[in-house]
Amino acid sequence: MAGFAQDNLSSHDRKGDITMTPTQEQEIWMYQNMVTSRFFEEAIEKIYMEGKTPAFNMAKGPIPGEMHLSNGQEPCAVGVCAHLNKDDIIVSTHRPHHVAIAKGVDLNKMTAEIFGKKNGLSGGRGGHMHIFDANVNFSCSGIIGESVGVAAGAALSRKMQGKPGVAIAYLGEGAANQGAFHEALNLASVWKLPVVFVIEDNAWGISVSKQASTAVKHNSDRAAAYSMPGVHIPDNDPIQIFEKAGEAIERARNGEGPTLIEIETSRLAGHFMGDAEAYRPAGEKEHLVEIDPIPAFKKRLHDRYRWTDEQDEALRAQAREIVDAAIQFARDSAYPAPEEALEKVFV
Amino acid sequence: MSTEVLIPNDLWEEDDEAVITSWLVSDGASVSEGDMVAELMVAKIQYELRAPATGTLSILKEIDDVVAKGDCVATIA
Amino acid sequence: MTQVKAKERKLTIARAMAEAIAMEMREDEKVFLMGEDIGELGGVFGNTRGLYTEFGSERVKDTPISETAFIGAAVGAASDGMKPVVELMFVDFLGVCFDAIYNMMAKNTYFAGGKVNVPMVLMTSTGGGYSDGGQHSQCLHATFAHLPGMKVVAPSNAYDAKGLMAAAIRDPNPVIFMFHKALQGMGWLGTEKDAIVDVPEEAYEVPLGKAAITREGTDVTIVGITSGVHHGLKAARELEEQGVSVEVVDLRSLVPLDRETVLESVKKTGRLIVVDEDYHSYGMTAEIIASVTEAGVPMKAPPQRVAYPDIPIPFTPVMEQWALPSAEKIIKAFAKMKETEK
Repeated sequence: MAGFAQDNLSSHDRKGDITMTPTQEQEIWMYQNMVTSRFFEEAIEKIYMEGKTPAFNMAKGPIPGEMHLSNGQEPCAVGVCAHLNKDDIIVSTHRPHHVAIAKGVDLNKMTAEIFGKKNGLSGGRGGHMHIFDANVNFSCSGIIGESVGVAAGAALSRKMQGKPGVAIAYLGEGAANQGAFHEALNLASVWKLPVVFVIEDNAWGISVSKQASTAVKHNSDRAAAYSMPGVHIPDNDPIQIFEKAGEAIERARNGEGPTLIEIETSRLAGHFMGDAEAYRPAGEKEHLVEIDPIPAFKKRLHDRYRWTDEQDEALRAQAREIVDAAIQFARDSAYPAPEEALEKVFV
Repeated sequence: MSTEVLIPNDLWEEDDEAVITSWLVSDGASVSEGDMVAELMVAKIQYELRAPATGTLSILKEIDDVVAKGDCVATIA
Repeated sequence: MTQVKAKERKLTIARAMAEAIAMEMREDEKVFLMGEDIGELGGVFGNTRGLYTEFGSERVKDTPISETAFIGAAVGAASDGMKPVVELMFVDFLGVCFDAIYNMMAKNTYFAGGKVNVPMVLMTSTGGGYSDGGQHSQCLHATFAHLPGMKVVAPSNAYDAKGLMAAAIRDPNPVIFMFHKALQGMGWLGTEKDAIVDVPEEAYEVPLGKAAITREGTDVTIVGITSGVHHGLKAARELEEQGVSVEVVDLRSLVPLDRETVLESVKKTGRLIVVDEDYHSYGMTAEIIASVTEAGVPMKAPPQRVAYPDIPIPFTPVMEQWALPSAEKIIKAFAKMKETEK
């Protein structure tokens, strides 16, 4: 297995050339988070539909409102978060669950928040699009493109205070056409901020395709306009993402400024739950299922580390337990009193 | 002699139930064949129900009622 | 046997909006559309259905997620003789593009001494009650109405929706057309039956700046817009059973504001309740009450407001439903008024 030996050079072994290769432990960590994340989304998807059949009324059921699931996009979360600790900052989007899980957000409280319960991260005030966990410096917003400025600001804060930490902004490829994106990248570059911008390109902004809306073939090419490295990752591959994100994060930590990473990922679910997805070309959804990153990763673990079915079942059982416990925690939690809506406007 | 307004079997795929989300004519209104008379929702998609005949419509099922393919939701006389 | 009625045709507000736009586009080549998902999808809220099929991508343009650019572009195009109808998908998104709206669209005619027209319509969705959270549920009526230079309309039913849209497109001034999501008739946001009404097939206008008396009465005036009108009507029906005669005024327009109709009504009833799903303070409810007070209309009791509390809109239904205006709150407000009269 000659290829294997050459691949397995860690950053410590090659002077002057940062190459990030995950260790076996890191690979298993990534796989574990991908599986947990996927189980979570599948569980949420089922519960979300409770009370919403036969007719889809968004207000009904134990999880009302909008829901944007991350099935298929797990590699984008784990490949980046494998390099982060709890002091690093993430600002995410309306599709946050996979990133939240990989960042170490309290899953019980996050789930309770999605269910609108008193024990939720925000006592039910935020819901699925507004997940805030200050303990691990995680937040997200429902307005397209608004993550980038906030992440740049967090990076600025660390730099000004001389404190360690890198900020990561997640955004979709549609957000790269929003003014805030261009302003934040420019600002981050001018002020040499320790921030990494991660575009999850799933090719669709609701019903409008990337080709129909974007002036460049690769958003990573736009980085040149802001004098920062632009990295294009053409595969939804946790390993490539790990490597490139690792380099970018290392650059940021070393005071070398921001990076733009663009990952071509796959959105296996609709834009939002209930999305009829009539705009997708025929066969596209079926193809996406074929290139699901999780079975591919399991195969990689098997080929590289002789990952067995028993190990896999044990990992999945553990992931299942974590997800089930979070759901149960949410279901068992009480709703807040209505008047609590008036609290926490100001401190 | 009245005509039943049935939910057509080919209005949507699969056998999911639907909910009436609007009546676009009132009970007792006169309709022409082919007029759009109601909207139904299956999951999140809205479908149009059209009058199979000309005459006076008598509504049998209301907004928010759950209906299935083949159900009679009104009659036209 | 049911009585035979004249041929009628009801529409949902979504259909009425699409029909009005289509009719104007057939008449005038200058009318064109820009917005997100307004093309083949027919709009996330169903208000542009059929337009892409009929008019094609040249006149029905799906945009990137670039509000500042395409709304700014609408200002430029309108100033140059076109008649754009643009969509801001959720009114809550105004933050990313508001300069183009309030500093340019609304002021360019004035800056040009009336020599430049900006005949554009900005349609935008408002409203909550279905757990979409603080960034997707607002009714920012006052935010737009407060700033000079733009007309603001908001229908409560399909008849007004079609007529106001036609009038808005024909108006040489910029018009903000606000449609409440729960009144659209989209099903997945619930259904408001009273919004689905008979709509004539022919072209017609509902004049901008003219309120409607939706229900006549003598004991109390309820003033509302969009969802507030429907809460008012429900309260009216209940109060009627208690022997109270309620007049419901549907403002339909915030700018120009038909203060006359409101004043006439309160002169008749002597009692005023204003309903608004927008935030309580510094808003439409204050404007109505101030207008009535300034005009010196005598009132039998202090006016009441039923509006959204001054908080970000919470996600969890327990909190959101509690915070929303409702028929129940209007009835309580009336009871409170009667208390003061004892």
